[in-house]
Amino acid sequence: MSITSLHLPAPIRRRQHHAPSDHARRDRAVELFESGSLRESVCETLAYLLPGTAVPDLVGEPLCFVQGSARVRVGIERDELAVGTVLAALQDGSQATAALRYFLTRMSSTGQLFQPRLRGDSIALEFRDRLALMHPLKLIEVLQRLPVEAYRNDAWLAQQFSVALPDREPVPPLDDDEFARAHLVWQRHWDQVDALMTESRRRRSLRVLDALGSLAVNHVNYALPLFGAVRARLNESADDFTDRDENPNRRDSVLAKCVKDMQQVGADELRACLGHLQYAINPQLDGTPSLLTSMLGGGQRMQATGELRAAGRALEAALELVSIYLYLLTHYSWPEEVEAALRAGLDLASDQPWREVTDLLWEHANSTAQTYGSHGAHDRDDDEAEAADGR
Amino acid sequence: MGADHDEAGAFPMDDIQQLGVYQVYTGSGTGSGFLIDATHLLTNCHVVSPFRQVAVELRDRTRILGTVRRLHPQRDLAIVELAHPLSGEVLALSDGVQLKPKQAVHILGFPVGLPLSLTEGVISHPRQLLDEQYFLQTDAAINPGNSGGPMLDDGRRIIAVTTCKLDAADSVGFGIPVTDVRRFVEEFRGQQSAFGVQCPACDHLIDSATRYCPSCGTDLDAQHDIRDYFDTPDPHPLVGFVEGALAGAGIDPVLARHGDHNWSFHVGSAPVKIWCCCSEHLNFSSPLAQTGNRNLDALFRHLLAAEHAPYFYDLNGNTIRLNLVVHVSDVFLPHEHADLAERVRQFVLKADASDDQLIRDYGCMPAPETQIDFLAGGGQHPR
Repeated sequence: MSITSLHLPAPIRRRQHHAPSDHARRDRAVELFESGSLRESVCETLAYLLPGTAVPDLVGEPLCFVQGSARVRVGIERDELAVGTVLAALQDGSQATAALRYFLTRMSSTGQLFQPRLRGDSIALEFRDRLALMHPLKLIEVLQRLPVEAYRNDAWLAQQFSVALPDREPVPPLDDDEFARAHLVWQRHWDQVDALMTESRRRRSLRVLDALGSLAVNHVNYALPLFGAVRARLNESADDFTDRDENPNRRDSVLAKCVKDMQQVGADELRACLGHLQYAINPQLDGTPSLLTSMLGGGQRMQATGELRAAGRALEAALELVSIYLYLLTHYSWPEEVEAALRAGLDLASDQPWREVTDLLWEHANSTAQTYGSHGAHDRDDDEAEAADGR
Repeated sequence: MGADHDEAGAFPMDDIQQLGVYQVYTGSGTGSGFLIDATHLLTNCHVVSPFRQVAVELRDRTRILGTVRRLHPQRDLAIVELAHPLSGEVLALSDGVQLKPKQAVHILGFPVGLPLSLTEGVISHPRQLLDEQYFLQTDAAINPGNSGGPMLDDGRRIIAVTTCKLDAADSVGFGIPVTDVRRFVEEFRGQQSAFGVQCPACDHLIDSATRYCPSCGTDLDAQHDIRDYFDTPDPHPLVGFVEGALAGAGIDPVLARHGDHNWSFHVGSAPVKIWCCCSEHLNFSSPLAQTGNRNLDALFRHLLAAEHAPYFYDLNGNTIRLNLVVHVSDVFLPHEHADLAERVRQFVLKADASDDQLIRDYGCMPAPETQIDFLAGGGQHPR
């Protein structure tokens, strides 16, 4: 029997506090750097990324902040700034050769400033350079990207290679009630995606595959505080099944394999990969009014969705609309009222037949764009954001 | 078709490696060129412009310097004088009068940067008019990198010089007819000045920057900005930094150029590649060796050791690479260039030393791109 609706429950993941970036502080950091006030520039850069955090002098006392499960340390040693986080430690019983090969193959890389470095049996992600070469944009890049690499990999590394995680921030687990709800969300989500896979194959529609791939990964990342090995596996598959440049047959088979893999995740494994991670640096991008206008008002995707709706292709249009909402909620941080409005759209759509989802969300999207969007021409950045919306 | 030729013996292409066709490298891309005598190479104007010095790569992957002597922007031809004579076979120019549709065409060149390759087709039109010029039209495959290479007949004579293809159509490529090539070469033989550009209207050789052709009065800026050919363009700051650092490391930057924001060269036996990606990072990478099957734990520990900073190793499959990443913001700090250039110099030295060390101490094997075999045979790379 065909799937007739989508269940879109309220998220168990806790809301990230919305604090729009104060770009004037970044500009001030650049001015300080260019005027030769190097330490002040570093401190201003840290204040830009970590608003509200007291920044120590970094010489006698390094700054330590928590990003997900990574403890990141920033300090000044002589005339150098060092940023690092301990990733793992080899121990008796570790698959050392495989782990070391993984670090060299997947974590060492050109195109990034930080690298894995081995000291004794401890492997850390590190970046170090002279203060005179610490342009704020360079430091921002390191501080944003280095912890992500750490907290996305650490639990998976422990599971795969039996390495120790000696300096990992404990992740507050879900309580029993939260986990019970999360488990239900998980099971129902993958059952829905499984059923929609059948629809995608029956219709042989690239649009359905695009929207379904986006929904498959974004709904999980929006609704559940997932981390660790399961999230790593999901994201690795999503890199392929959401890649619109990839062969559709391959995307389809990777998604199908991923659905099977995720359906087989047991309660214990899932529980170990759920927890309320804390982020000193907001891992989400700043949502902007012009982005809302672009995505929900009259951008290319909405135009294409309108054509599907007019042609009576309700399932395709509904999936497209839901995936846009989930994308905005997963990847962007919004003021509370905007987030509530976007959530209200999903509440309207939850458990409704496709045609009603299409009509309700279409109206809701336009109304949300009118209320919270920008009313001038949307800017180039948002066009790019829309174009890059693979998930 | 090929079988017919072999049986008839009319098209001796058994060893194209002996032919005087070479790859030309500049800071904007790569192309092909062929010897018109031991010290001069003919190619396209668009292959060498806007550079007055280019690199020419030989079969053993060493490169020699070439100096542009003559350009014809309108006819898209150029002559490059080589730093020293080459022994490749100089192909003869055909008389070009017998060309007919369906006649076989053999194109030599370096498509998409691959080693010397031969593609075949037929003449679709021997004298196709396009943009007020005549071209030899062919259905043979032409790809980026083929530009400037010779189009040959069955007798291995040059009938045209590959210049372009239509992107919007399949199998529509063009060559500059040999009659124009012959005239260009003959006029070059009488050239007195070190460098000259031919007027697009009257073919008069102009040897200094001027707006109007001294012979026919044509406004040269209106057609090809010919004054630009007499100026060395200011390099992008990133290019200026890399090439300054390479010079400091004893590497000739002209010989290292490998297209836009790309460089490649060998230092000792180690290949080094430099490229800029995402407008944020300048990457230096040297594929040094391949992992063996023993001692891997010790090898990997050595590669990951913190002592290598700021350099680092990674693995691409089984290939071990030494790398350095420079943030583009650093390049815009001129007062720090000396320090950064020293990092580059040390990177080059470390790359040169590391492949030997990996092979000696950890049982690694040479990476396919290294030139250990070549150097063991006595070869030397010009610096």
